[in-house]
Amino acid sequence: MVSLLELAEVTVRYGGLNAVDNVSLSVRPGEVCAVIGPNGAGKTTLFNVVTGNAQTTAGRILFRGEEIQRLSPHEIAARGVRRTFQLGALFGELTALENVLTGLHTEIESGLLGLLLGTRRARAAEKAASAEARQLLELMEIGHLADRPARELSGGQQRMVEIVRAVASKPRLLLLDEPAVGLAPPMRAHLESVIRSLAKERQTGILVIEHAIELVMNISDRVIVLNYGAKIADAPPAEARANKAVLEAYLGHG
Amino acid sequence: MLMMMPQLVVSGISTGMLYAVVALSMTVVYKATTVVNFGHGDLVMAGAYAAFVFTAGIGLPFAPALVLALGTLFLFGLVMQRALIEPILTGPHLSLAMMALAVGNALRGAARVEWGNETLMLARPYPQTGFLLGPVVLTTDDIVISAVVLLLLLALFVVFHLSPLGKIVQAVFQTQRGAALVGINVRAFHGTMWGTGAALGAAGGALLALNTALTPDMGAWTLVRGFAAMTLGGFGSLYGAVVGGLLLGIMEKLLGFYVSTAFIDITAYVVTIVVLLVRPQGLFGRATGRSV
Amino acid sequence: MSRDGRGESRRSAPAARPRSGRLIFWLVPLTLLPLPLFLNQYQQYVLNLILMYVPVGVGFNVVVGNLGQLAFSNVAFFGLGAYTAGILMAKLGLPWWATVLPAGIMGAAAGCAASVPALRGVRSFSLAIMTLAFGELMRWTYIRSEWLTGGSMGMAVPASDLLGWRLDLESHKFYVFLVLAVAVVIATDRLLRSRVGRAFMAIKDNEAAAAAMGVPTGRYYVLGLAWSGFVVGIGGSMYALLVGHLSPESFNLIELILEFAIIMVGGLGSLVGSVVGAVVITATPEIFSDFPGFEELIFGLLIVLVILVLPRGLASLLARLHPLFRDRYYESA
Repeated sequence: MVSLLELAEVTVRYGGLNAVDNVSLSVRPGEVCAVIGPNGAGKTTLFNVVTGNAQTTAGRILFRGEEIQRLSPHEIAARGVRRTFQLGALFGELTALENVLTGLHTEIESGLLGLLLGTRRARAAEKAASAEARQLLELMEIGHLADRPARELSGGQQRMVEIVRAVASKPRLLLLDEPAVGLAPPMRAHLESVIRSLAKERQTGILVIEHAIELVMNISDRVIVLNYGAKIADAPPAEARANKAVLEAYLGHG
Repeated sequence: MLMMMPQLVVSGISTGMLYAVVALSMTVVYKATTVVNFGHGDLVMAGAYAAFVFTAGIGLPFAPALVLALGTLFLFGLVMQRALIEPILTGPHLSLAMMALAVGNALRGAARVEWGNETLMLARPYPQTGFLLGPVVLTTDDIVISAVVLLLLLALFVVFHLSPLGKIVQAVFQTQRGAALVGINVRAFHGTMWGTGAALGAAGGALLALNTALTPDMGAWTLVRGFAAMTLGGFGSLYGAVVGGLLLGIMEKLLGFYVSTAFIDITAYVVTIVVLLVRPQGLFGRATGRSV
Repeated sequence: MSRDGRGESRRSAPAARPRSGRLIFWLVPLTLLPLPLFLNQYQQYVLNLILMYVPVGVGFNVVVGNLGQLAFSNVAFFGLGAYTAGILMAKLGLPWWATVLPAGIMGAAAGCAASVPALRGVRSFSLAIMTLAFGELMRWTYIRSEWLTGGSMGMAVPASDLLGWRLDLESHKFYVFLVLAVAVVIATDRLLRSRVGRAFMAIKDNEAAAAAMGVPTGRYYVLGLAWSGFVVGIGGSMYALLVGHLSPESFNLIELILEFAIIMVGGLGSLVGSVVGAVVITATPEIFSDFPGFEELIFGLLIVLVILVLPRGLASLLARLHPLFRDRYYESA
C-alpha cells in the first residue's frame, strides 16, 4: 500500500541549527500518529515543511507518491492536506460559519462569471456549502456559534471551529497542532472521538502534535518522538512510553 | 557634454539638500512612532506659509522668520501628536495614517481659506547672484539652502550623539519598551519627536519658499519626493534619508540632462517603484523580508 | 432536518438573515427614481456626482477593506478610465455608452499591473508609497501626452447621447448613473458573498492560513485589484460624461485622499460603507463650495472625528441599528 505521507531524510536548517534533523517517517491512510517531544524539538517545523510553509534544506516529502517539498502551500492544500495552527489561525473578522466556509473553498464550484451574474448554479453551490458548513458546526455541537464573529469566541471554541474548518473539505491528510489546548475535558473527549472516526470512517491520515499524554495514548496508532529535531522513537504508544531515550529526552532536558 | 556634470551635481546637491531635510523629518516621525505620515507634505507647506507670514505679514527678515517658522511648527507637531495621535497609537495603523492625512487636509484647507488658490511668493531676502567656483556656478540660493540644512544636520548630529538627550533618543529608537522600563517618558518623547519632525519639515518648506511659488497644494509634490528619498536611502534609516535625498537630487539633474528632461519630474516616481521592486530595503535599510 | 445519534431532530438554525438584505439594493434605487422631478440642475448634478463616486469607493474598498492591501492606486484607475472614455469619445467619436466597458477594461488592466508589487511581497506602507508614485507617474503621462490628452490644459469631452436619448441633461445622466452604480454594487455584493469574498478576507487576516485552506493567494491578489480597477474605471467613464472636461490635476493625490476618506468614513470592508461614504464625502464639499478651502477644513475635522469616535466607520453605526446593514460573506439558504 502506498503510504499517504512519506518523509525521506528531511532536514531543515536555520542558521547553524537543524530544526528538523534527518527525519524519515511515513503515515498510512487511516493512521493516527502522534508527534511528541520537548519544546523546541521541531514538531511545528515538521508540520510546516509538510504544508509548504517552510522549506526543506534536504530530503524529500511525498504525498500519495508525489513529491511536494517544492510546492506552494495552496498547491499542497489543494491536494487534500489540511492543518490547524499551534496558536490558532481563525479569520477573526469572519463568523464561525464563514471560517468553515473558507475550509470548503476548494470544494465550491463557482466560476467568476456565474458569480457576478448571480446564476442559479452559482447561488446553489454557495447555498449548499453554507448548509453543509452549518451542519458540520452542529455536529461538533457548536452550531449556535455559527453567526458569531470568530474573534468573539472563547479560546476553546475557536479551537473547535478551527478543527471543523480543517476537516470540512474531507482532507486525506490532517495535521493538528496542539488541538486540545484550552479545551475542557468534555470537549477533549469529543475531539478524541472526532479524530478516531475521521481515521476509521474516512481513512484520513492524521498527525497530531500534542502535549496531553492521555490523549496521545488514547488515540494514536503510533507515537513519533522528536528531540532536537531528530526522531528518537517511532512505535505504538505503549512501546514508546517505555523507551529509555524518550524518557531521558523528557526528564533529562525537559 | 561631460563638462556639464560638475554643475549638474552641484545643483543636484542643492535640491537634494531640500529632499534630505524633508525625508529626514519624515523618518524622525516614523522612527519615533512607526507612523507613516501621509500628511507630512502639508506640514512642509505649513512651514513655507509660516515663513511667508513672518516675512511678508510681520515684516521680519528671513533668518528670524525661519527660526520662528521652525518653532511654530515644532509646537504644532507636538500638540498634534499629543492630542490626536497618542490616543490612537495602539490602534490600527490605517487609522493613524488617516489621522495624519486629515490634519494635513485641514492645514491645506486653512491655507486655502486664508489665501485662496492664488500663488504667493516670498520676497527675495537677498539678491540672487552667482559665484563662480572653478567650473561651477553656485547661486546664493544653493549656498543658503545647503548651509541651513547642513547646520540643522550638524545640530541634530551633535544632539543625537553627544548630548544626554541624544542618548535618550537613541535608546527609545532602539526599543520603546526597554526605554520605558528604565524610566524614560516615552509619551513625552513621542510628542517631542513629532515636533522635531514638523520643525524639520518646516525648514524644508521655508527653504523651498525661497525660490518656489507657494500654493496650498505644494504638499503633495513634497510628500512624494520625501518618500522617494526615504525609499532610496532605506526606510527608517536617518542617514539613509539624508543620503537618499542628496542622491535623488543629483539623479534628477543628471538623468534630466543626459537622458531626457522628463526625468526632472519622474525620477522620484521611477526610483520609488524600482527600488521597492528590486531592493525594498533601499541602501541602508534592514531587509525586513516582506513588509515594512 | 438532520437527526443526531439520540434520535432527536436537530434543525439547522435558519439564518436570521432575510433575503431582504439583497432587496435593499433594488428598493433604494426605486425610491430614488422620481427625484429628478424635484431637484434643480445643481442638486441633480451633486446626486450624479455621488452616484459616480459609488463605484469608485466600492472598488477602493474591495482592495483596502476586504483584501486588506494598502494599494493607493485608485486614482490611477479612475484617471485611466476617464481618459479612456474621453479619448474614445473625442478622437474616435464613439458615443459615451460604448466607452464604459473599455474604460473598465483599461482599469482592470491597470489593476493587474498594480498587483505585481503585491505578488512580489510588497506590503503595507511600501505598497501605498509605490502605488502613490505610480499614480503620479500616470498623471505625468497625461500631462506629457498632449497629442492624446490635451496635456495640462486638459481635454474637452464631447456631448453624447444614448441611442438618440440626449445625455447632456443632468436628469438623463442620473438614470444611466443609477443603473451603473446599482449594477456595480450588486455585482460586488455577489462577489463578496461568495468564496471569492471570503478568500479576500482570509488573505487580509492571515495569508498563510488562507493558503493552507487551498486559496491561491496570488490569483486572488490579481482578481481583487483587477475587479477594483474595473469598477473604478467605469466610475472614470462616468466622470468623463458628468464633468465634460478632463485635466490631469483632477487625478492627483488630493483626489486620492478624498477617495480614501470615502472608504474610511463609510467603513473599511463594508459595501454599505462605500455607499454611505460616497454620499457623505461628496455632499460635504458641495455644501461649502462657495468658500474655497472650507470643505478641506471641515473634511479634515470630520475624518478626525470619525477616527476618534467611530473607527469602523459610519457603516458600523448603521449595522448596530439594523442587521440589514451588516456585512455578510455567505449566501443564506
